[in-house]
Amino acid sequence: MTALSAPAPAPAPAATARPHLTRWVLRLHRPALYVWTALVLLSTVLLLLLHGPFADAAAEGWRRFDSCGFNTVCRYDQSAILRYKDWYNYATLAVAAVPFLTAAWAGGALFGKELESGTAQLSWAQSSTPVRWLSVRLATAAVLVTAGTGLLAWLHHLAWAAGRGRIDSAKDWYDMGTFLTGGPTLGALSLAGLAAGALAGLLWRRTLPALAFGTLLTGVIGGTAQLLLPHLWPTLGRSGHGYPTSPAGSWTVSQGGNTALYHVTYHPYSHYWPLQLTATALLLTVTAVLTLACFVVLRRLTGRAAAR
Amino acid sequence: MSALPPAGGGLPRTVLRLHRAALLTWTVFVVGVSGWLAWLTKVTAYDPGSKGPSCYDVCVDGFSYPVQLSWAGDLIDYGFVGVAAFAGGALIGRELESGTARLAWTQGVTPVRWLAAKLALPALAVTVGGTVLSLVFRWAFAAHPDLSWENWTWAIAFTARGPLLVAYALCALAVGTLTALWLGRALAALGTAAGAMWLFSAVLTYYRPYLWPALTRTGPHAFDLPDGTWLVSEGSNSHGRFATYHPASHYWPLHLTETAIVLTVAVLATLLSFRLLKHRTESPA
Repeated sequence: MTALSAPAPAPAPAATARPHLTRWVLRLHRPALYVWTALVLLSTVLLLLLHGPFADAAAEGWRRFDSCGFNTVCRYDQSAILRYKDWYNYATLAVAAVPFLTAAWAGGALFGKELESGTAQLSWAQSSTPVRWLSVRLATAAVLVTAGTGLLAWLHHLAWAAGRGRIDSAKDWYDMGTFLTGGPTLGALSLAGLAAGALAGLLWRRTLPALAFGTLLTGVIGGTAQLLLPHLWPTLGRSGHGYPTSPAGSWTVSQGGNTALYHVTYHPYSHYWPLQLTATALLLTVTAVLTLACFVVLRRLTGRAAAR
Repeated sequence: MSALPPAGGGLPRTVLRLHRAALLTWTVFVVGVSGWLAWLTKVTAYDPGSKGPSCYDVCVDGFSYPVQLSWAGDLIDYGFVGVAAFAGGALIGRELESGTARLAWTQGVTPVRWLAAKLALPALAVTVGGTVLSLVFRWAFAAHPDLSWENWTWAIAFTARGPLLVAYALCALAVGTLTALWLGRALAALGTAAGAMWLFSAVLTYYRPYLWPALTRTGPHAFDLPDGTWLVSEGSNSHGRFATYHPASHYWPLHLTETAIVLTVAVLATLLSFRLLKHRTESPA
């Protein structure tokens, strides 16, 4: 639509072709852009509520409950405690779903659909080269995903930190959902999801299988990262007679032995950021490998088409 | 397109052939999760690592029995989101978008028969698979009550231990179909159907304790309810303390009421789908 009217005001086609590709991607995927904006805005509102009033009310409820002791007539605001707990879980679920939604969208709508219907091949025959077609799509999506997940992860971390030490039922820092959604790991896994979806789209070139495979691949990447997570930074350890336990608030990684010699290894809370950053680095490496694979597959795809 | 004979037997075969990847995925899912639950019950539960002396209530490593049981339960319970995505995307939405549905309607298959065949076979597969998963979960959940912290009020087990599981899957099939017929586009229908079904189940889960009248107990002083009850509300008024709760015997009334609600939505969505299809195909384009 814009392609027809564009050349008239701008006489130099080589110069005008550049920004248009990004604008087309945004225009073509307006519904996804709206859904993404709505998801970020709604989650932002919820996370700010959790950070402020919900956390304060729940902390007050816990303060009263803890001061009751064994007093049988204890008045405390149980619903405030449950409200923080429930909505925190909903927010975590919504934010943790972002990598998988990104993968499904990238595999299905961004790449699979265009390759299945042939519009990708058509646009390669027009102005843009296949490499630019792929780079612009990946870069535009990556910028939006990074910006959105950065905001959400920061707010989620604030919402969690507001309850830490004040709300007894708040999640531990090493809780799977809390850890993923509270730092740069979220952005890194989302970018890995984007690359996984793109690779699935280029390999299958069919909308629905690419959607399913991209999401599945992201699940495998996220699951593997979760399994490796405790081993991404050296643990501390204790051993001795009896049953030594790890300090309060630390993540127990392993324990075993018998009463004569018992050992326990753990991550204290001070390992939170080292673990976040190594997990992020690991996932970004995976993203780079997947992106490289996308370009290799694209080259084989278009090379074959050109040879015919 | 080998199966388009005029005889009635061809249509189910076409549906099976067209969606054999989905059928294979569903079979692998049912067999895989059942095998996982069997392994949990027969092997993991007897692993001394899952009940170490200092491990009580404090350390939960990623492989312990209760954590794995809840993951398997999550997969079983939220399988209906996948069913909704399949029905909205691959089963109906894709064929409407590409036009193969309209082609089929000109080849001696009426739209109503087309939709009936499209719904009947997945409904059968979902019912059989869901029943198997529900029975296996019931067996696994009952095997080691001492190792799990959860009882019948746990949302995952509440759904997975009875016909509610199959009802959600059937409802997802119907809602996915309706969404696809309404939107006519595969990806939009896939996303909308999966999101709508997830929201529907979240709302029903939230209002679950109010689907059957709770018992009320009052007393002048604070009191303890027996173990295994589901506390709905408690507080104090001018007469003393009160509490409303569900005893364990309310499991089946609560479960079957929710099943009836979900099945009603499924039937309504199916009826609407057929009406929408009739309306679309009878009115000139």
